[in-house]
Amino acid sequence: MKKGIGVIVMANNREIDYERSQGGRVLKRLLAYAKPYWHWMAFAFLLVLGITGLELLRPILIGEAIDKYIGNGNFQGVQKIALIYLIVLVLSFVFNFLQTWILQNTGQTIIYNIRQEVFEHVHKLSLRFFDITPVGKIVTRITNDVEALNEMFANILVKLLKNIVKIIGIAVVMLSIDLRMSIYSFILLPFIIGLTVLFKSISRATYRVARTKITAINTYLSEHITGMKLIQIFAREQEKYKEFEYKSKDLFRANYREMMVFAIFRPSIYMLSIISLVIIIGVGGDSVLNGTISMGTLYIFIQYIGSFFEPIQDLAEQLGTMQSAMASAEKIFYILDEEPLITNPEKPVILHEVKGRIEFEHVWFAYEGENWILKDVSFVIEPGQKIAFVGATGAGKSSILNLIGRYYDIQKGKITVDGVDIKEMDTDQLRGAIGQVQQDVFIFTGDIKSNIRLKEEGITEEEIKAAAVYVNASRFIDNLEHTYDEPVTERGATLSAGERQLISFARTLAYNPSILVMDEATANIDTETEQLIQEALNKLMEGRTTIMVAHRLSTIQHADKIIVMHKGRIRESGTHQQLLNQNGIYKKLYELQLQ
Amino acid sequence: MKKNNIILKYLYRYKWKYFLGIITLFVVDFVNLYIPQFTGEITDGLESKTMNIHGVLLGIGKILIVGAILMIGRFLWRYFIFGSSRAIECEIRNDLFAHLEKLSMSYFNKNKTGDLMSHFTNDLNAVRMSIGPAVITTFDAVIMTLMVLIKMILYVDLRLTVLAVIPLLFIAVGGVYYGKAAEKKFTAKQQAFSDLTDQVQESISGIHVIKAFVQERKELKAFGKANKENKDKNMGVVKLQAVVMPSLDFIIGFSSVITLLYGGYLTIKGDITLGRFIAFNQYIYMLVWPMIAAGDSITFFSQGFASLKRIQNIFDEKPEIFDEDTVKRVEHLEGDIQIKDLCFQYNNDAPKALNNISVHIEKGSSLAILGRTGSGKTTLVNLLLRMYNVEPGQITLDGYDIREIPLKTLRENIAYVPQDNFLFSDTLRNNIAFGAADNDLEMVEQAAKEACIHENIMNFPLKYETVVGERGATLSGGQKQRSSIARAFMKDAPILILDDSLSAVDTNTEERILENLKKNREGKTTIIIAHRISTIQNADRILVLDAGEAAEYGTHEELLKLQGIYARMYEKQQLEKQLEAV
Repeated sequence: MKKGIGVIVMANNREIDYERSQGGRVLKRLLAYAKPYWHWMAFAFLLVLGITGLELLRPILIGEAIDKYIGNGNFQGVQKIALIYLIVLVLSFVFNFLQTWILQNTGQTIIYNIRQEVFEHVHKLSLRFFDITPVGKIVTRITNDVEALNEMFANILVKLLKNIVKIIGIAVVMLSIDLRMSIYSFILLPFIIGLTVLFKSISRATYRVARTKITAINTYLSEHITGMKLIQIFAREQEKYKEFEYKSKDLFRANYREMMVFAIFRPSIYMLSIISLVIIIGVGGDSVLNGTISMGTLYIFIQYIGSFFEPIQDLAEQLGTMQSAMASAEKIFYILDEEPLITNPEKPVILHEVKGRIEFEHVWFAYEGENWILKDVSFVIEPGQKIAFVGATGAGKSSILNLIGRYYDIQKGKITVDGVDIKEMDTDQLRGAIGQVQQDVFIFTGDIKSNIRLKEEGITEEEIKAAAVYVNASRFIDNLEHTYDEPVTERGATLSAGERQLISFARTLAYNPSILVMDEATANIDTETEQLIQEALNKLMEGRTTIMVAHRLSTIQHADKIIVMHKGRIRESGTHQQLLNQNGIYKKLYELQLQ
Repeated sequence: MKKNNIILKYLYRYKWKYFLGIITLFVVDFVNLYIPQFTGEITDGLESKTMNIHGVLLGIGKILIVGAILMIGRFLWRYFIFGSSRAIECEIRNDLFAHLEKLSMSYFNKNKTGDLMSHFTNDLNAVRMSIGPAVITTFDAVIMTLMVLIKMILYVDLRLTVLAVIPLLFIAVGGVYYGKAAEKKFTAKQQAFSDLTDQVQESISGIHVIKAFVQERKELKAFGKANKENKDKNMGVVKLQAVVMPSLDFIIGFSSVITLLYGGYLTIKGDITLGRFIAFNQYIYMLVWPMIAAGDSITFFSQGFASLKRIQNIFDEKPEIFDEDTVKRVEHLEGDIQIKDLCFQYNNDAPKALNNISVHIEKGSSLAILGRTGSGKTTLVNLLLRMYNVEPGQITLDGYDIREIPLKTLRENIAYVPQDNFLFSDTLRNNIAFGAADNDLEMVEQAAKEACIHENIMNFPLKYETVVGERGATLSGGQKQRSSIARAFMKDAPILILDDSLSAVDTNTEERILENLKKNREGKTTIIIAHRISTIQNADRILVLDAGEAAEYGTHEELLKLQGIYARMYEKQQLEKQLEAV
């Protein structure tokens, strides 16, 4: 019920449909990334042509040496040619170096840009997206999938172009020599094109499957490495291994299919080249016997048919790599096309200072469809007031906290902060004004200090310490070997839940928000610490609008107003005493706790 | 050379496929020579007018047969060698995961998820390249070079061959240096990719915090650094290759220059014929591909080696917790726990997390543990679960030292509710049945009812088949906690440990869960950690921990009489209640 779940399955199907619908657009869109660097690529292409030219020059030079000098016994002439040959070599080296360097650099730059773009875009997406998308999947998109594009930009594009030019060039030469023989040479082209088109679509499909399976492996790893402790404690290693093995085999099968497609396609193209050769020999041989063509022409065509098929075979290989890149690109574009549900208004209202007056006006909210989590909720919180929400799990308390920071948009009604609709506010300003103490405290790899200030360099060391002292976190921090510089590991695995909680208090405090939002914040701390925290919070809450959700009546009864939620509606509201006098849900909750 | 062992083990399993693959490569390279030969026969025949159309057709037939053999051969070596390399890749992947499952928590504390993940994809891929495509390039490099060299010596001239081959020595010597440099650069590149993966992994995991503190732009900047680093390290590899690969071409070219000069000289002198000189030039040209192949091989191998080392590092990591030789055949535990003079520190420099704890938890009794943050409660639980090792005799269960009990038996006989309620992205039914033998719906529902989550679940459209998001992301904190309690109830083990597991449920629900717990745990051992006295006052014994020491121990009444920490805490909490009542 909470955040809607069937959606996860739907999301996967949506991705598959998306990929099938993209087709040719993917290439166009990919090329757009290369556009700013087109002159570099053009330059690299010229270099490639130059290299090819120099390669062709080498046998000509040797031929010249043989014809002109060696035959005559002119060793000086040979020396001259050798010198020219050496120059050609040096030029080849320089061209090759430049070409590799430029293309790889361009490729890497494009990859860098795409990564930045995807990362930035993902961070713009609404929490809804993260609720239903596994971490491992997003990670795969930004890392492995983008990596798979490198080869295409760094190598394939230019070589593809080179081979096309080569094929056309050889075809033109062949046509100019003998039209009839050329036509026989090209007779299998429709088969080659047909086979290539078939290969293209099959390989795209197999690559697509392979990329999906890689994602599945990564998602599985991301989740199960984080949950390894639980697997070990519940002695589920064997079962989980079997699950992994199954996914691993899946990926193997996908890779295997991919390998087989190539293993069949490449030799097939080769066979076509042999058949073409045979046709030329057959037809040419017959013509030579008939005297219609000269022996020399046949000889040249036999040579050319080899040179003609060489770039064709390369081209086929390169098309394969392209397909791999495209399969990844589809997945990347799918994420890039994911619209952020929460967007900043074009001309946001910028408040000079957020005072913290919050008003809900007939708010209706559902994570999906008509599954209303909040039904017609209205209340006003004046600046500096302390409001507490109580009610059973699923009553909609936590959702209210999420709505104030506009992590989700409401369907009906209006939420205002200082009288401004939050949809018209700058979300950064809005969220910056709200200090959130979350249920699950997330600790980043780094040290205590960096977990309090996050990446805000503007927060000084003194401020960090002051915040820690203020929330009584300094007690345990000072006991650490390196105090504020003590390294902490991923998710704060080396800290206890209470310690993580304290750090999150300090973190919130360091950001000096004007609105304070707390969700079950004090639950994990022992009574003694809880009292200290309470003290600190009381000081902290002064002058700040505070909204809290807690099950402990002791922590909330001093609130200015208590709002009792039940099944998405406000059922009671008032001060502790007023509510007790009302003899309603609050009273019952209260008595239950006292027993 | 220990580093090589791991890959050899896998290669050995596929030795026949590799053998067949290499045989096929031989056949292909050998048969390949017949195509120009047969073509030559036909052109010669036509030239000398000794061949009629039947002869041509016969020749064509021969070429087609050779072509067909080549086609099949080219398919087969791919099938044998690439197929095997994929299969080995899959086996290493599985073994790597199995190995990770054995490693202790301290390893996962030290090594980050994203970093480990990249070993499974990026590094494994590099290893596969070195046992797949590298085999082909190496074969081509070695065999073709040899074949060409033999032809040069036999057919042309030894002196010319020796002189022309001198530059190739540079490749051999340079190759060693290149290999080393490439390995270093590649290791750096793989590391950078690991770091990049890590950065993303963490940023996405912590997205709630990032959004709440408006850190998106700063995250992007930080990511940009890792991204740039990855690019730079990639370019490091490129820089090397951009010099080395054209150098190969240059060196072969230099052989051509030598051939031209010295060969030309020999030809002019009349030592070799012009025809042989021409042939020699063609041979040199035939060396270009094997030399490029040699360069590729070195690249593949050094990269594969670099990645293999990284993977080997994981395999080399010895599990700290495993069944030792002293392990006894214990298949079931009754739940009698004896802790004697238990001392523990996480590492030698760290202060003692637990000091001289002695407590006996009889079968069927309950023990509550109380203490402030950092007093050692969770450490004690971790030791009971044998997440860390203790000295012999410090913890015994049913009279067996904890290290004598098979790990699987130990953990199968303990149901545990952790502080952070990790759920897998699976159905609620499977999540609750996670620790149990089967996922019988009735039993799942029973456990859910006892944990007071049944009604919530029935409100979901898909009920027990509801798939929860990663880490239970689609559930509220309270729902997650109660699902995790249901999971422990469902396991129905002789020992149950609740580690501050009722923090996110309201008092009313807590009461009901405790009630169910009492009924359910009749005759079974229960350990419960909590902060509120109301949660634990009915436990048979209460242990109060303070800075790793057992400060107080006894029943609720006994502890009250002691007038110590417990009594003070009780008074404080009573006072709070009274204050609330005002």
